[in-house]
Amino acid sequence: MMVVRMKVERLITLVVEDDDSDFQLFEAAFRRTPGDVQLHRVDDGESAVAYLAGDGTFSDRSRYPLPHIILLDIKLPRRSGLEVLQWVRQQPGLCRVPVIMLTSSRHTKDVNRAYEKGVSAYFSKPETMKELTDLLGALKDVWTRWFEFPSLDDKAN
Amino acid sequence: MPANLKPAAPGQPKTVNTPDTLNGDKVFRLLVDSIQDYAIFLLDTNGCVASWNPGAERMKLYRREEIMGKHFSIFYTEPDLAIRKPWHELEVAAETGRYEDEGWRLRKDGTRFWANVIITALRDENRNLLGFGKITRDITERREAELRYRLLIEGVSDYAIYSLDPTGVITSWNAGAERIKGYSTDEILGRHFSTFYTPEDAAAGLPQRVLKQAADTGHYEGEGWRVRKDGTRFWSSVVVTAIRNETGDLVGYSKITRDVSDRKKLLDTIRQHAEELELRIAEREQTNAELEAFSYSVSHDLRSPLRAIEGFTDIICTDFGNQLPQEVKTYLGQISTATRRMNRLVQDLLEYSRLSRIELKPTAADVATIIEEARLQVDESFRERVKVNVPAGVKAFVHPPTLTQIIYNLMTNGLKFYPAGKQPRVEVSAEQHEGKVRITVRDEGIGIPPEHHERIFQVFERLHSASKFPGTGIGLAIVKRGINRMNGTVRLQSGPGKGSTFTLEVPAA
Repeated sequence: MMVVRMKVERLITLVVEDDDSDFQLFEAAFRRTPGDVQLHRVDDGESAVAYLAGDGTFSDRSRYPLPHIILLDIKLPRRSGLEVLQWVRQQPGLCRVPVIMLTSSRHTKDVNRAYEKGVSAYFSKPETMKELTDLLGALKDVWTRWFEFPSLDDKAN
Repeated sequence: MPANLKPAAPGQPKTVNTPDTLNGDKVFRLLVDSIQDYAIFLLDTNGCVASWNPGAERMKLYRREEIMGKHFSIFYTEPDLAIRKPWHELEVAAETGRYEDEGWRLRKDGTRFWANVIITALRDENRNLLGFGKITRDITERREAELRYRLLIEGVSDYAIYSLDPTGVITSWNAGAERIKGYSTDEILGRHFSTFYTPEDAAAGLPQRVLKQAADTGHYEGEGWRVRKDGTRFWSSVVVTAIRNETGDLVGYSKITRDVSDRKKLLDTIRQHAEELELRIAEREQTNAELEAFSYSVSHDLRSPLRAIEGFTDIICTDFGNQLPQEVKTYLGQISTATRRMNRLVQDLLEYSRLSRIELKPTAADVATIIEEARLQVDESFRERVKVNVPAGVKAFVHPPTLTQIIYNLMTNGLKFYPAGKQPRVEVSAEQHEGKVRITVRDEGIGIPPEHHERIFQVFERLHSASKFPGTGIGLAIVKRGINRMNGTVRLQSGPGKGSTFTLEVPAA
């Protein structure tokens, strides 16, 4: 059996976040830690689906490439993070993409729903910049050094 | 109840010639002689005793030889003799063939008994009077039972007990009926019982339906409005029972009515209260749902700007710190501190409101485990300052996460209030005591003056400035509310300089 490790040169991450400040803090936290990550952002649930489906302007995959990872908030305008997650998990191929919840909700109900719907990991937004840097740095470290990424091509085995 | 005595068949011979031929009939004689419970004897046309059986001897105490030939009026009381009752009875019997009576009779020793008496005229084929047959039964006991029963019914004042004939006409009336419905016996006997119904019920045929059901099924039970003589209404509870004789013919109804207006009023009040309560519960549930939505958005939306303030302050300090004057850096540090406090405040408030709102489902939980869990939440640098002395196997009936939070709050509270330079120390112990588990959290801190013991359990109550001893002022309020919601109590023993001891009591499992 041949094992081919997908080489991820630049980690493409789709951030679904409606709060501008939070997004800027994510950017700063990623910047502070070693390793390269390419962030793409949409700020509501509907746009997230459109981006992933390649609808309209999002069909230009050179500008809007399919992500290796999705960072998803729960409380979003138009379509909630849980709805986006559910939609993703129903798409052929795309259903394999790791989806990370990063949200301020610590409600057990939200956590349970998210895992039921197939979230890959669930984190609540840390209170301080230091903690946020620690968390996102650790995630990036894991993604770039240890993570096995699935193929999103629905014809791949 | 009238006696249902038919003349005994053997005592009514159709063809009798003379008392002598009767005496000659050996078999019949044997029969009569064997009867102990009935006095059966013959009288001649004048009323003198012409035969005597053992039943008669047993009942009246006269021996055969001493009573033969004596006039039967000897069995009658003075008042009866005064009205010449014995002779009257014979006249009636001679005239109509038969006389039946109930009344007092005398024994030989002068004592009285209540007798059922049947006198039958005996005639020959030419209708000549030969004498009389007399059958007497001692029914004293039955009469007394009936009397007691009647007195009982008549004396009952809490229940209207009365009887109806098969058409619903009232045939008896007791004191309770008079008291409850207001009619005297004289004015109500002979009237139809539909008198008691409201015009609406009467028009709707309810009285007839009541009787029909009682006749069909033997029984009717119901409640409803009835009308008193003075026109006022009362709520009644009614039982109607059909009365049938031995052959199954309907002879009437008994009716028992109770005035249950008070109960009805009470029930109506209770029902009204229950409805109000349900309404309030529904309102409360809605309020709770709104509160839930509110706290959800507080935790999400209110904390997000705080994260931004803290985050950007951090970025400025870290990334541009060397370009800033020291004064600016100090202020930025204060912004950070304030945001962290605000964050704690929001979280504690959320926790406090959550504790009041959610259902805390109790389970049997190991107290040592809960205390250890709380200890592990204490900041690592202080954890060793918490000494735990809890025997294994103590189990409490609590909501474990809430008890953990409460004990954690008491631990951190106990570690916080120390004069500068003194090493904090908190001791936690637990024991089972008469169906309760008692958990004690003791510190050696500055203590709390007794006059503040009540206040410190209220939200936002602080005894010291936040700069001296940090905190949100919600920790102990969470303790109190949480412990109360688990059917437990919290007590405080403390004085200035004496340290503080918080004692929790929760149900043992």
